[in-house]
Amino acid sequence: MAGTIRAQYPATIRPIRINCTGRVTPSLMMRAIGKGADGVLVAG
Amino acid sequence: MLESARTPGMNIYTYSEVEDASGFVGNFKVKIRKKARYVNNDCNGCGACYEVCPAYGYDEFNEGMNPRKAIYASFTQAVPSIAQIDMTKCIKCGLCESACELNAIDFDQEEEIIEIEVGSIIVATGWDEYEPETGYLGYNVYPNVITQLKLERILAPNGPTFGHLVRPSDGKNPKNILFIQCVGSRDLTKQTYCSAGVCCMISIKNTKLIKQHLPDVDITVAYMDIRAAGKDYEEYFTASRKEGIKYVRTNISKIHEDPETHNLKVILQNTLSTAGLKEFEYDLIVLSCAMVPPKGIEKIERILKLETSQDGFFKEFHSRLNPIDTKIPGIALAGASQGPKSIAESIAQGRAAASSLARLMSKDKYRILLIRANVDKELCAKCGLCELNCPYDAIKIESDGAEVNDILCRGCGSCLANCPSEAITLRYYREPQYEKQIDAILEEI
Repeated sequence: MAGTIRAQYPATIRPIRINCTGRVTPSLMMRAIGKGADGVLVAG
Repeated sequence: MLESARTPGMNIYTYSEVEDASGFVGNFKVKIRKKARYVNNDCNGCGACYEVCPAYGYDEFNEGMNPRKAIYASFTQAVPSIAQIDMTKCIKCGLCESACELNAIDFDQEEEIIEIEVGSIIVATGWDEYEPETGYLGYNVYPNVITQLKLERILAPNGPTFGHLVRPSDGKNPKNILFIQCVGSRDLTKQTYCSAGVCCMISIKNTKLIKQHLPDVDITVAYMDIRAAGKDYEEYFTASRKEGIKYVRTNISKIHEDPETHNLKVILQNTLSTAGLKEFEYDLIVLSCAMVPPKGIEKIERILKLETSQDGFFKEFHSRLNPIDTKIPGIALAGASQGPKSIAESIAQGRAAASSLARLMSKDKYRILLIRANVDKELCAKCGLCELNCPYDAIKIESDGAEVNDILCRGCGSCLANCPSEAITLRYYREPQYEKQIDAILEEI
């Protein structure tokens, strides 16, 4: 949807494809924040 | 239906309901509740019992417009041709029992639940006509405001009036008929969708049919847009206009009745002309109602774990690329169960569903992607959190640990995110793989 309406997002956002948001574990999110990410957005 | 019933290897369970289903593609187990007809299979549908029965009910097949006996055939071409008793109306006098030469009446019959094993399932639950609330456009208040399905039965040769077009209030031929399109559809407060032009085409068909029966009748169709999109449909619409049927682009908000004559008064304005508001009088008004999901669709949705889309019809795999299959392998959709559609489209989808599943069933093997959950049984503590969180019922706790059904599993990973023992991994999407991705992305910062 975002692609078809040509929505823009900042180049500093890095997407990681996950099969299902149910798969996201707190440890993955904390790892990203621990490595210096400003935030984690779980979208889907 | 009769032809299908005569085909060897084909079992039809009518007057039955699906109660439960389990299993997966190739191995479905379905429980069917066969309701009691109180008439056994010896019945040949001769109808001797209908004549002697003293109790009456309303004929549901004719939209309740004529009486039927308490023992009756649900409709003329019902399969199998067996009578049934409406126990809410039956007075248990036993006259049918003595009239029946085949001893087919069985007052002690009980409903039974049978279990069958099937490889795949086609859901073809059809549609219902939208029923306007009482008072909306005079529905259920003024006798001469009827819905399109009632008109269909009135025009049918085996209907309550044997095909004679009469109006309900006085049984006389109407001289002036108004069709109102888009009742309950394309309406933000009711159904927002268009019923795929089906109601437009039914109205066009019925105007032509009425003109054949009674050429002097004056017919007006009040429409928003006539959606005659399909092969030969536009020509059909043009032919209807050439027969003198008036099509008026307007929106009708209210109908009044003359209490003495039961004629209906409507104020309308043709928005395509400069003429202002005018009052017109009609003998009969037909509401062309929307197609809505059938009653009980929630039950099938729950039993088969299907999804419905926003309009309430079953959701397909992909609305454009695969409108036939569902997201569950081995279950396909046919006809209006997936959304409003015409007879031709329903037949096309029914055939497509049959071949889609036949292709699946003709092979001994079923190909899956390898993205499936994998349990390390040494680590599994059998806590059951995975079973609780699986949206597809694919994981079960066995005596030696959690067991994944590779066909039901869709590789979403909800189980491993919840596993406290970290005993589950997802092939191709393991924890270290994600960790490496996160590390690589954040290295540049």
